[in-house]
Amino acid sequence: MSSLVSGDGERPPVVELVGVEKTFAAGTPKAFTALKDVTFCVDDKPDVGEFIAIIGPSGCGKSTILNLIQGFPDVYPPTAGEVRVRGRRVTGPGRDRGMIFQRYSSFPNRTVLRNVTFGLELNARELGLGRAEREERAMELIRRVGLDGHEHKYPHQLSGGQQQRVAIARTLVMRPRIILMDEPFSALDEPTRYEMQKLITGLWHEIEATVFIVTHSIAEAVFLGDRAWLMAANPGRIVREFESIIPPTHDADPLLVQETQAFKDAVGEVAHAFHEVEAGRF
Amino acid sequence: MTDAELDAGGAGGPAADGVPPGAEEPAAEEPAAGPPGAGPPGAEEPRPRRRWLEIRESIPSWQAWLLGLLPIVALLGLWWLVTGSGPAEERVMSPTILPSPLEVAQSLPSLWFERALTRNVAVSFLRVLYGFLVGVAVAFPLGVLMGSFTKVGAAFNPVAVFGAYLPIPALVPLTLSLLGTGEKQKIGFLALAFVIYLLPLVVAAVDAVDEVYLKTAYTLGASRWQSVHHVLLGIAWRDIYQALRLGFGIGWSYILLAEMVDIGRGVGGLILNSQRRGPREHIYLVLLVIVALAFVTDKVWALVGRKLFHYREAR
Repeated sequence: MSSLVSGDGERPPVVELVGVEKTFAAGTPKAFTALKDVTFCVDDKPDVGEFIAIIGPSGCGKSTILNLIQGFPDVYPPTAGEVRVRGRRVTGPGRDRGMIFQRYSSFPNRTVLRNVTFGLELNARELGLGRAEREERAMELIRRVGLDGHEHKYPHQLSGGQQQRVAIARTLVMRPRIILMDEPFSALDEPTRYEMQKLITGLWHEIEATVFIVTHSIAEAVFLGDRAWLMAANPGRIVREFESIIPPTHDADPLLVQETQAFKDAVGEVAHAFHEVEAGRF
Repeated sequence: MTDAELDAGGAGGPAADGVPPGAEEPAAEEPAAGPPGAGPPGAEEPRPRRRWLEIRESIPSWQAWLLGLLPIVALLGLWWLVTGSGPAEERVMSPTILPSPLEVAQSLPSLWFERALTRNVAVSFLRVLYGFLVGVAVAFPLGVLMGSFTKVGAAFNPVAVFGAYLPIPALVPLTLSLLGTGEKQKIGFLALAFVIYLLPLVVAAVDAVDEVYLKTAYTLGASRWQSVHHVLLGIAWRDIYQALRLGFGIGWSYILLAEMVDIGRGVGGLILNSQRRGPREHIYLVLLVIVALAFVTDKVWALVGRKLFHYREAR
């Protein structure tokens, strides 16, 4: 994998997995090893976040990696190994790690604005933010994701793409250092997906967070990722890494970029490796 | 033009039209005005088949109202028919068994003034209300805790299942021997019945909240109690409210169970009294009053619900 060397001591790695194994229903006939011996280390580079795309065949444990970094109760603790975030062992989810799910997760009983302020409300005392400040911050992000004018609508009045915009705003307003995205655009139709990719690349260089995105779209991985990790299944593990596959595409139009030969070559290379992995040759 | 076209072309091929000789078809066909046998059967433009019964069709509201009125009118008509208004000897059913609609209506003043209809209804209503409040005070917090925390759910679920299979009417003699025949028994029985009814519904409402909302809240830094309060309860509120509304409506069945043990105050006592001492007409009237009151109360619940949960999804 990338550098296995831990950070320089001053800045511990953003995310570090060491020999992580996750077996569900261990010790029963239904035992299933989702991940085996996963080790990687993402360094904390000053003021730069990284965008890491994780791809692989279904059932290879892509999402399990994200869930372990988050430490959700249904996967915590790992069967073996250790998950560390900025040098500290992960014991549960927290607001330093934002998460965007494939399924729409806007709270149905809250308006767009109240969805985005929700995280700030929950931590109001700790953050020392009054109502006005919370709403101001939320409105800024609502504008950035292009939802101004919709802030008083309820989620059921929004389209799928708009719901994911709410999720993005709700995550970013917390200013997390790590953002985990689990197939965030898979449920969207093609044109909306391009719009969202454009939004993400547009927001991206302002965020300065490390982003993990799990996707089943090779093109999306190549387009969004600074690097892409390819996983194999049974048991799930990371088998290849593609670094700097295409030049950074900040603020680029996904449709135009994805029509270039360089992009198509890069996708072809990853797709070839993907099929090899699926066929068991790696 | 199409008619001419088809008349020319379709003369030999009646099979081209797929209209089956359905019983409902001809009734709607007024354009088939020609003398019978003049035009070849089925020699017309295939038009959208409009049958009288369509699966999940959309109908105008006046039609829905009209259709809803039909069985009621039919029932009243049947009632009128078997009772009539003639002398008792000429009726299909004797007035001591089934009084006529007119006789029932005419007995309203005596029910109102001599048997204190409003006071008895108020007594019953308050019993339902108090029993409901006590029941909710138990079922709501317990149900939310059971739905939120697996261990609390595991602890109380067997009791809830036991309650669900308990025959509610059997609790009447039980509460009578435990709590006597006074208000305590009435409200105690109602509270017990409400808890048994509401508890599984509250648990189910909390259970139904999608995991993704919880996970999202965790990543926003929600504590355990914040998650229960803002996520589980926040989202389940609507379903819980719906359960409370249904429960309150069923309360009218429960109160009659509790009251029809003796001729005391309340609508149950009224019915029992009318059955034993007559007139029979009062039984029908009391039932109508209960239905009307339950209907109005339910509308109030619905109205408040619409105000509270205006975010409801279009479902």
